[in-house]
Amino acid sequence: MRKPGDVRTWMRNNAVTVMFVLLCIICIIYSGQSMSYVMYEMFGRLSRNAFIVLALIIPIVAGMGINFAITIGAMAAQIAALWVIEWGVGGFGGFLLAMLMTMPIAGLFGFLIGKLLNKMKGQEMIGGLILGYFANGLYQLLFLFIFGNLIPLNTPGLVIKGSTGVANTIDLTYGSGGGIKYALDGLWKLSFGPALYICCGVIAALLLVLILTKRMNAKKGGIAIGILAAACLLYQIPAVASLFSMVTVPMVTFLVVGLLCLFNVGIMKTRIGQQFRAVGQNRTVANASGIHVDHVRVIAIMISTVLAGWGQLIFVQNMGTFQTYGAHEQVGLYAGAAILVGGASIRRATNGQALLGCILFHLLFIVTPPAAKNLFGDAAIGEYFRVFISYGVIALALVMHAWSSIQKKRPENAMAEAGKAS
Amino acid sequence: MTKSKTQRIIAILLAVAAVALIALGAIHMPQRSAQGGRDILDALRIRTLLNATGEGVVESYVAIAKQEASNKAREEGLGMSALREAVAKAEEEARAQHTGTSVDYDTVNTDELVSALESYTAALSAYYRTADAAQQAYIEEHMPEAEAAAEAEREAKLAAGQEVSEDEEVTVDMSGFVATDEMNALMAEADEAFLAVGEALKGIYPVLDDAALETLHDTIQGIVYQSGDDFTAQYDRYMEAGSGAAISNTTTAFFIRYADDLIYCGVALALAALALLFSRSLVEKLGIPRIIISLFFILLCLLALLYDLSLPTLLSNSVVRMGMNAIMVLAMVPGIQCGISLNLGLPIGLVAGLIGGLMTIEYGIPGWGGFLFAIAVGAAIAAVAGWLYALLLNRLKGEEMSVTTYVGFSIVSVMCIAWLVLPFTSLKLRWPLGTGLRNTIGLDSSNFKHILDDLLSFSIGDFTVPTGLILFMLLCCFLVWLFSRSRTGVAMQAVGNNPRFAEATGINVDRMRIVGTVLSTVLGAVGILVYSQSYGFMQLYTAPRQMGFIAASAILIGGASTSRCKISHVIIGTFLFQGVLTLGMPVANMLVPGTTLSETLRILISNGIILYALTKSGGGSRA
Repeated sequence: MRKPGDVRTWMRNNAVTVMFVLLCIICIIYSGQSMSYVMYEMFGRLSRNAFIVLALIIPIVAGMGINFAITIGAMAAQIAALWVIEWGVGGFGGFLLAMLMTMPIAGLFGFLIGKLLNKMKGQEMIGGLILGYFANGLYQLLFLFIFGNLIPLNTPGLVIKGSTGVANTIDLTYGSGGGIKYALDGLWKLSFGPALYICCGVIAALLLVLILTKRMNAKKGGIAIGILAAACLLYQIPAVASLFSMVTVPMVTFLVVGLLCLFNVGIMKTRIGQQFRAVGQNRTVANASGIHVDHVRVIAIMISTVLAGWGQLIFVQNMGTFQTYGAHEQVGLYAGAAILVGGASIRRATNGQALLGCILFHLLFIVTPPAAKNLFGDAAIGEYFRVFISYGVIALALVMHAWSSIQKKRPENAMAEAGKAS
Repeated sequence: MTKSKTQRIIAILLAVAAVALIALGAIHMPQRSAQGGRDILDALRIRTLLNATGEGVVESYVAIAKQEASNKAREEGLGMSALREAVAKAEEEARAQHTGTSVDYDTVNTDELVSALESYTAALSAYYRTADAAQQAYIEEHMPEAEAAAEAEREAKLAAGQEVSEDEEVTVDMSGFVATDEMNALMAEADEAFLAVGEALKGIYPVLDDAALETLHDTIQGIVYQSGDDFTAQYDRYMEAGSGAAISNTTTAFFIRYADDLIYCGVALALAALALLFSRSLVEKLGIPRIIISLFFILLCLLALLYDLSLPTLLSNSVVRMGMNAIMVLAMVPGIQCGISLNLGLPIGLVAGLIGGLMTIEYGIPGWGGFLFAIAVGAAIAAVAGWLYALLLNRLKGEEMSVTTYVGFSIVSVMCIAWLVLPFTSLKLRWPLGTGLRNTIGLDSSNFKHILDDLLSFSIGDFTVPTGLILFMLLCCFLVWLFSRSRTGVAMQAVGNNPRFAEATGINVDRMRIVGTVLSTVLGAVGILVYSQSYGFMQLYTAPRQMGFIAASAILIGGASTSRCKISHVIIGTFLFQGVLTLGMPVANMLVPGTTLSETLRILISNGIILYALTKSGGGSRA
């Protein structure tokens, strides 16, 4: 069925992902790290970063590109986290409270971001980036001059005597039940084997239900179940099992990530999801068909900002501490780069691309410093290299997008396409 | 209608208040050096003096009582411990008896003291004037020596591989300073005058003896005159000593002390009234952000005056910062003119300039030759890089802004790796231990530190004019202006304004965009070198990342948009932006000590103005 041209198109569309896979393999080989350690690190990073990457999908579908303003969602989460610690509410309850608090704050921020981005249509990404920087200034004002000064904080460690504002690092272990550190991760942890069996079992059961209720093509479902079974069988090989010997899986965290994936799929089937898609494909057409374009865009950004806030909460509860003035700064960059690495463009993105991108991007993050140390004798090169990769991937995606959209705009190309279609 | 009416009423009220404040200040200001001011100071001075002496007198009483008690005890042949006890008891009694009852300020006759003090003050001020002049001369004479010593120390530190601190001021060692004959003579005169003061004080406090007077000498001298005293300094000093009760008319005294602040507040109110009155036409002409920033700048100036910061020094620093940054801001002009909008990929030019600077230090080319060499190398690299960059941008017409940002970021991170691996060998550049180049590379007089700043520079009071820097800035602006008037320049602007029309008239659009981008990148390379020579350090690694944003925001503050700009926008915008930052730091430190408020300010202004420009760039019209 496939023509050689298809392979070439596929390669061109997935060049970044393929390149990344190759890069990861090279770096893993030269890093000298054991695979089981790399896997352990990667599952840790995946559990804390996947959620926030998935938060990027809706704005992309709605045609607003990568929402670099998710840094502002992260700021909202950090405001919530600060107050939950100040009140000393720990454990899972504290985490839920923080999530609940994040919602209105991030929602409000998202509303404002959406309003502003509506004034710069077509330049949402640069606008979101700079808006993130601008909000960082406001955030500093808030944490340096308002919290701890105008609004006093009483928890020891949040304010350092002799300096103004909130301390540089916030420790999440304060509070009842060990604070909100590991509040989500620690609920249910399993080693890799049982986790795999449970996941495969649950997914297979769901697929079976879908097939039996005729909502899914039996052939497709059968293949999927077969793949799950193969994965479980593959794990029986001792060499494969040893790869995952160090991994412990925070089940609830991955469950939440899975729920978000379902949410991303599910919302596209609703009315608002259809409107996202329509606005993303063509604003003028959507407007003509009676969709309130500005309204839809604001909703997309609000959802993304709240999700990003929750993602940041998952991140900080896993880390146990966060840098008050720096933890949010790179969120947009890393999440944006990750989703692009997975093969998404700034107009199309899926859950699979987000998760694959997250895996590849963080794999590279783990192995570049030791690889650079072994190759060039300096780990700093690897650290700069991964920053370069982050920026470079985004630049490349933007260049490729601009290129293709300009070629589409050219009259002779449009004519050619029209000719092809007929 | 009603809105404008209320506006007008408020403006008039403000104006009235302003006139009242200014008048109040203007009436009381001259009083400082006139009789009224002198009377207040005299009253305060005498009271402070009497207070201080009174304390000294109590000590004298106590000493006498202690002596008597100890003599008495010795006569009675008491033991050591009993003697100590008796002395302590006597001290306590004497202190209780004399404290607070020293002198009745209202009835005491101070005429003699006043005249004695007057001559003593005059003698002291004469002495200090001479002494300050002599010390200044000494410092000037020995400055080259101290500078050479500091330089040698730096070299030694560099050779030993220690980090050199960034801003150290060269200080002259004053231990070798000997008082001149004139100073000695004046001091003798002052001492003589002090004797008269002592006599007068003895008249008031009979118990005061010469030994007590001797111990009080320094205190009295400190009360009467301190180096560089003026009205406010003396007033504050006496008030701090708690002599406020000596003033009969406190309101007048208060007005005289704060006359200058009254005038500043009046000026601020007057400006606010003007801004309110003409708000509509101002907003139309300048746009809201420029008005906000201009008003903010004026507010900072007034705050600096209120906090008694040296405004001329701050403004002088602002001018230097303007000259430092102006060329990088100027680099935005060809970019905007040729239609690539804000060149946020400016870091490409910046790293090219940094490479030029590094090569100068590596080869050890001194002075002007080195600076010109750096510019030549930087410009050459920037031209090549800019050309490639322009080829990329020509394929992305209309989508430049976000792409240029990330291309700029990528280049900065590539260069981070390059700084680690480039084969420079000079120890001034490399970490002596570990790999790669230093984060900040200190320039010194053997390179091109301050080569433009110090050229033909002169001072008017506290205001130093960096003539060379300003001339260079104006020269670059003039060249860019000249270019925009040339055939190529006009064609380039046509491309920026309307590419389709330009193409129709036979202009090669792509070529013109290349010309503009290359020019912008080259100016970026020159700009970072001018910046570095003034700053005194070259910053590598992630430092250039944000500089494109800073330059872009400066030209936007000046009134440019993403598609239209003039040279005047560069100069106005850079001055306003850098002025706000320069003034912001000390003022912010006065308001909230020891904070990074000024850095926060930079983030807010710089990104806020870019956001504003983005909302104005016509995105909204495309539904």
